[in-house]
Amino acid sequence: MIMPDRTALRRARLASTAFAFSLQKDQVVTDSGMKVSVLRLYPLREPVSGRRYTLLKIVTESGLVGMGECGEVSAADFAKATRIVAEKPATAYEVIRQHLLPWPGLQAAVNMALLDILGKKAQAPIYQVLGGPTRFKARSSAALEGETDAALATSMKRAHVAGHRAFLVPVPRVGAPNQGQAFIQATRRRLDRLREAGGDGVDFVLDGAGLLSAGDASSLAHELERFHLLWFDEPCRLSTLSPARKIASESVTALGFGRHLHDPGAFQDLLREEVVDVLRPSLALNGISQIRKMAALAEAYYVAVAPHHNGGPVATAAALHLAASLPNFFLQEIPLPVSEADRRMRSELVGASLETVADGFAALPTGSGLGITLNEDALERYRERPA
Amino acid sequence: MRRRQFLTGLAGAGFAGIARPRELGASSSCICAMLPLQNALGAEAFLGVGSKIKITNMKVFGVSLTPDSDRPYVFVKLETDSGVVGWGEATLEGKAGAVMACVDDFREFIIGSDPMQVEHHWQSMYVHTFYRAGPVIGSAIAGIDQALWDIRGKVLGLPVYKLLGGPMDSKGVRGYYHARASNKEELAHLRATASSLGVTCFKSGIPGYYEWIETNASIRRAVGAMQMLREGLGPDIDIGVDFHAKTSPSVASILIKEVEPLNLLFVEEPCPPENVKAMARIARRSTTPIATGERLVASFSCRELIELGVADILQTDINHVGGITALWKVAAMAEASGISMAPHACEGPIGSLATVHVDAATPNFLVQEICSGVQPEMKEKVWEEWLGFPAMRMVNGRFPLPQKPGLGFDLTEDALKKYPFGGTRPMARVFHQDGSVAAW
Repeated sequence: MIMPDRTALRRARLASTAFAFSLQKDQVVTDSGMKVSVLRLYPLREPVSGRRYTLLKIVTESGLVGMGECGEVSAADFAKATRIVAEKPATAYEVIRQHLLPWPGLQAAVNMALLDILGKKAQAPIYQVLGGPTRFKARSSAALEGETDAALATSMKRAHVAGHRAFLVPVPRVGAPNQGQAFIQATRRRLDRLREAGGDGVDFVLDGAGLLSAGDASSLAHELERFHLLWFDEPCRLSTLSPARKIASESVTALGFGRHLHDPGAFQDLLREEVVDVLRPSLALNGISQIRKMAALAEAYYVAVAPHHNGGPVATAAALHLAASLPNFFLQEIPLPVSEADRRMRSELVGASLETVADGFAALPTGSGLGITLNEDALERYRERPA
Repeated sequence: MRRRQFLTGLAGAGFAGIARPRELGASSSCICAMLPLQNALGAEAFLGVGSKIKITNMKVFGVSLTPDSDRPYVFVKLETDSGVVGWGEATLEGKAGAVMACVDDFREFIIGSDPMQVEHHWQSMYVHTFYRAGPVIGSAIAGIDQALWDIRGKVLGLPVYKLLGGPMDSKGVRGYYHARASNKEELAHLRATASSLGVTCFKSGIPGYYEWIETNASIRRAVGAMQMLREGLGPDIDIGVDFHAKTSPSVASILIKEVEPLNLLFVEEPCPPENVKAMARIARRSTTPIATGERLVASFSCRELIELGVADILQTDINHVGGITALWKVAAMAEASGISMAPHACEGPIGSLATVHVDAATPNFLVQEICSGVQPEMKEKVWEEWLGFPAMRMVNGRFPLPQKPGLGFDLTEDALKKYPFGGTRPMARVFHQDGSVAAW
């Protein structure tokens, strides 16, 4: 063999600023004061809409406060999560996420709160801590409310005045599986009327809420191919992927899935099976970090992320930071309560309204951490107490 | 030759003087329908949400530890108007000149921009380059990306692994050295040394070069080398074997079948990486975990490896895959599929240290490579001279975590001057018995 000297051939492997930072040589970063010392839960309920969410407050030894949010939490689960999180360094949000995976809601809320703390420690908005901003404003949408086409048109008008240009539209009431052409045409009429009322500058997400049979959903997706929905959300249940496969293979209407999912493998199945065009992880079940990981996965499939959110104002803040940290973010739902009392509650809780939208886009928060100031009085006032 | 001198000369000057046309589209003679509209959304659009820090200069250094090195390090230094500087590594073996030129091609993307927006810049460098993935572009992006993370950490006052939510273990990240031993006695000695140092894992290669189909003698030689590793190192040390893509799927499958009883930690690159289904054929017939990925660029390149069940362990290299941003994304993808991370690291100290930061925040991390033996080598003495600490030397079998903000080291341009760029040199060229081209 003509083989030159081996050792010579082997690769070497075998051979003025916005920040108050001070850079000192040999500066060592410690966890001093950063251990989690207090966790508190605040179950809340909006007075008119009845929308429920739970806020979580985490305080470090040094007094940094972080806020998070999720859905309803049992006292037993909270006790378990508290034991896991207490005394751990608050910056180690990825370590703590791993420990809390069995409790998706608490995992999500704790993650938001820890990133809030990390941002405050670093004196920067969370999106900057996470490598952003990737954008300077976030495309938004509002869910329309109402049973009838007329009520939805009124709801859209209100949301349009509030600045939204994209709307989540419920399918008409579903009576039974396989409702046939009457249902398809009723949905079509509903969307046509809304588009006519809204003009060219508005867009729609059709919300199937997981209620439709594969047959109905597929017929609808086919009927709406040339209507150009942004996407058809949750067209069927995901108890198995077969219905989703059928719908995705029979039309080019973009599909959104994932609002109830929190297992990374379930999101990956959606991508791997090529049934999803818009990944819809919920803030309240996944938190910021887990959605970032799912977004990284989706990016490799050239798939967009539009996190699901129908909770409170803390998760809205989290969602906006998340949006500004992702390259493949598309749109963020922002809850838009009808009643003034509900809206007041949301802005009082966090010191200001982050839920302001102009011409279809929400502005990014600019303060440290989540960029919200917790109003303790409001928290106590609105706190839901056992009857 | 002129090109080499051109690059050598520029290395010291940091490419500072090259003027570039500002309006890329307007002066173009291209009239194709794909000519982009130039829109105004540059750095100005982010003023309200940015950090107010600006990158003021970018310098590229070719660093040859020996004048005839075929793999000079390529380092990138970014300077900001706040005084904070960041270092990154863009080393691409055998292609130093090309990477240095490519880093400089990104000058317009970087100067004047906000260093905190690392994801935005990563996307812009990758997407606006049009050709997207490729090792030269990937390595150039990697160098800039690491420097941006170094700056981010320093500005935010935290080590990079804390920005990423770590450390998973404050004692550091588990590592392996290469087994520098050619017989049983040396392996036994290595085993004793490892035991005293707390080192728990080694990697080695298989001897020689392999044709598409191999002879009985060649197969027995390769199998014998792997058996000797296990016998010499004993049952308790984890062993990875790097096939280095020297083998075809046909030969690799036979070798892997033979060494199943050795319980290797992994077999690495059992065939070349660009054809995923070929490696899948090997993986289907193997119970030994398959590791691969060191030559891949960007997370996009990992989809098929994951979906087809090829990779049990991904080894993307921070200096080629696209820096911290891209390595983190690969780890996130792998995590969702129960795939472990064992990143490749065979270049300079900056990329290796940056990798340790990502490892420390990766729940699915397995083990970290360093291309060195249990005894420090010449390059590691130089690294210590540069950085002031023994970078990438394990303590109790782990690479300790840097404690300072950013990537956690201080490096001066002066320190590099002793090792000037010796130019780009071709990597090894090897041939079979009949003169045909062999892979190493």
